[in-house]
Amino acid sequence: MTTEDGREPPVLELVGITKRYGEVVACDRVDLSLHAGEIHGILGENGAGKSTLLRLIFGLASPDSGIVKIDGKPRVIADPATADEWGIGMVHQHYSLVDALTVWENVALGEAGRFEPDTTRDRINRISARYGLAVDPDAPVRNLSAGIRQRVEIIKCLSHNPRIILLDEPTSALTPYESEELFEVLAEGARTQSWAVALVSHKLDEVLRATDRISVMRGGRVVDRTITAATDIPSLAQSMVGRSVALRTVTATRGRRTVRNRRIENQAKPPRGRTRVMLRIARACISTDDRGMLLNDLSVEVRPGEIVGVAGVEGNGQTAIADVLAGLLSLDQGGVEVDGKRIPTGVAGATAESGVAVIPADRHRSGCVPEMTIAENLMIPLLDRMQRFGLLQRESIKRNAEYLIKEYGIKAPGPDVPLGHLSGGNQQRVVVARALAASPKVLVAHQPTRGLDVGAIEYVADRLRQAAEQGIAILLLSTDLREIMALAHRVVVIHRGAIVGEMAGDGIDMSRLGLLMGGKGEPEGPS
Amino acid sequence: MTGRGSPLAEGPAIRSAWTGTRSGILLYLSSICGTLILSAGLVAVTGGSWSRVFSAILEGALFAPGRWGNTLTVATPILLVSLGMVVGVKAGFLNIGQEGQLLLGALVMAFVGTKLVGPGPLLLTTGLLLGAGSGGAYAGIAAWMRFRRGVPEVITTLLLVFVAFQMVGFAITTDWLLRDLNPGRPSQAVSSAPLPGSVRLPVLTIFGNEFHIGLLISLAAAGVVAFLMFRSVAGFKLRLLGYSPNVAQQAGVAVARAGSAALFLSGAFAGLAGSIMLAGGASGGRLTSGFSTEIGWQGLLVALVARNRPLVCIPVALVFAGLRTGSGFLAGTGVDRKVVDVIQAMLVLALLIPPAVQFLLERRRATPVTGREGWDE
Repeated sequence: MTTEDGREPPVLELVGITKRYGEVVACDRVDLSLHAGEIHGILGENGAGKSTLLRLIFGLASPDSGIVKIDGKPRVIADPATADEWGIGMVHQHYSLVDALTVWENVALGEAGRFEPDTTRDRINRISARYGLAVDPDAPVRNLSAGIRQRVEIIKCLSHNPRIILLDEPTSALTPYESEELFEVLAEGARTQSWAVALVSHKLDEVLRATDRISVMRGGRVVDRTITAATDIPSLAQSMVGRSVALRTVTATRGRRTVRNRRIENQAKPPRGRTRVMLRIARACISTDDRGMLLNDLSVEVRPGEIVGVAGVEGNGQTAIADVLAGLLSLDQGGVEVDGKRIPTGVAGATAESGVAVIPADRHRSGCVPEMTIAENLMIPLLDRMQRFGLLQRESIKRNAEYLIKEYGIKAPGPDVPLGHLSGGNQQRVVVARALAASPKVLVAHQPTRGLDVGAIEYVADRLRQAAEQGIAILLLSTDLREIMALAHRVVVIHRGAIVGEMAGDGIDMSRLGLLMGGKGEPEGPS
Repeated sequence: MTGRGSPLAEGPAIRSAWTGTRSGILLYLSSICGTLILSAGLVAVTGGSWSRVFSAILEGALFAPGRWGNTLTVATPILLVSLGMVVGVKAGFLNIGQEGQLLLGALVMAFVGTKLVGPGPLLLTTGLLLGAGSGGAYAGIAAWMRFRRGVPEVITTLLLVFVAFQMVGFAITTDWLLRDLNPGRPSQAVSSAPLPGSVRLPVLTIFGNEFHIGLLISLAAAGVVAFLMFRSVAGFKLRLLGYSPNVAQQAGVAVARAGSAALFLSGAFAGLAGSIMLAGGASGGRLTSGFSTEIGWQGLLVALVARNRPLVCIPVALVFAGLRTGSGFLAGTGVDRKVVDVIQAMLVLALLIPPAVQFLLERRRATPVTGREGWDE
């Protein structure tokens, strides 16, 4: 599919770029060429290495190996200032504007020399007029909407007259109309100014709509290159998430079982004949004043013994679901029922009391207390059982901890060691042990294996499977499709706070899943 | 400051070459020695003799007749205030308005003792309880603003100190409130009438050293706080709240309610300190405009130095009280007593630096592996 034809040489060329963060290989021998006058889409899931790649080009990080060539000559881009000298500009995913300053002040920030308000204002107005990016140079940034802020970012980038423009998920906070405007500016610049544009995105439709060629990244590698005109959404989706045959699970890498086996294994498991719903989230809505809807009419049901996988790109409402079920967040509309009983949301301890246990994505935010001892962490959900006359029963607390440490294979010097002393994997075991020790009816597992090593991942997966066999209803929120495919009996797809599709765990259609996750549902999903 | 989950708040048990017991003692010793040398230099520069200054402080705090009883008396409210600070910080809330809460406790004690009629012991008990309650309620204003309006309690408790000073000033200058109208009063300074002898705390005398039984109350309070904080469910919940509001909320600890309770308790200790001071005969049992004499701030420092361990507060409070009473003997040395304030401040730093050093060393050791991760999203 590669189309390296005999066109003019690339403006920017990456050869064999590799970047590691500890154990993780963020970019693995990546080759990439940006040509003048072309918009190059870089497509991939979360964690595929797209953002890292842009950071390497822009000098925010330096590659471990590989060559960056600009106009055919090898260059070292040590920092953003060097990148700026070579005509590289970047629009960041998270806005890097100072709220308290005005538009022109933000544009002037980081420039060499004196502040010259009038020339800066003129420059802004010129760029505004040239590309139809209307903005008031004297408006304080804090008053601007997400779309206008994005314009300011772009103007800031363009005010340096870059030849190479890098955009990292530029549309994540934009409305479809605003995205459209942005793409027109890019197309215009590429055509008339010969910009070389790199557009990082996980949204299939916009990459297809806005680019000239596409590189698909997965697991730090470029797995597919194509010219946009020669591809379509289903084939892009498939290379983005990986064909099922190509999927490596943890177990597969250890040479034990493959995904296929695991899926066959799953087929036998979905509980039949049990129609009782253990967890029901009905028409849940949460709106926030700045970022729109966190949850948008979301409904999902989980039966006893069933693992329901919620697949989706990060930031589409998974954290909100986990927080609601942890009692940390209240719903604006809709409700949560556990075992047929409606429970209040956002009330301290209400969900735990009704039998919901949560393994949070960020255990340090809401899972455990590193400063407290292992024993103390393990007793948190069992407080009522571990006391007499309001005093802690130290003997039973210790016994409980010793039992769980043994039962869950937690490697620790003893129950009275601060949790923070344990390795991440063992801390996660404590979190899992605690969640299951309370004998919950419902278990919410949000990214339960993120950041864990191979052994710990497998361990957690086994525990979840066992829990389901014991009749616990499990809601598995994950951005890791391999994890979902390996565990879930049923998969629902979340996009922008709503469930946009559902499929059985043994009949996952990867391309359809990719489409749904990218916000491209069959009957025009909410986009 | 020792805020929510700050590593300095309790000093999580960290292991490294520098944090073993022996090197810990070494750090503290060198830090304190450094302070003493600096202090000696300071005294010398201001024209005094450092050996005379130090012996004067020791005389004043311990050795002169009756002085250590005096030191114990001063340590009593300081210890109580620091315990209140500990309760607040453990729950993750920084009440720094003890000076004001203490004044309010004294104000209420003065009112109960001089305006109400009844048997002395009853008035005394009522005064102490209401004094504690009023200090708690005063901190409760900050709690209410924090949980209703999101105003940081650090700001409100601090600002309420100045309101408390005005309230005391108003009360002792207003005829129908606390102003002493007795024409035969000894000083012309405005104050409340003295607390009658029947509503004073009983005084113990040992070897000519006098101190009131408030000391026993405060020592008992330290024990009770330590016990409940680490052995009771309520204490566990407060600590949980201080470490991780999210985990606490999941475990059924309502942040606003538990946090309000913690702030109330925190203020109540300061209020009790104030009423005990008055009932113990501080400033002749009269409420004056400067009655609190910065006991509130000192208690705060004590908690800081003791790193919020209730039992450690006891010796630290004694040391601070000793510096206070010792500085009373400085007049003969020709050195300004302000110098003692500076020395005391340096001592606080000397006691705070070792844990900070240990923390930094530990962190430097721990970072290289996972300094930057998760760039992608």
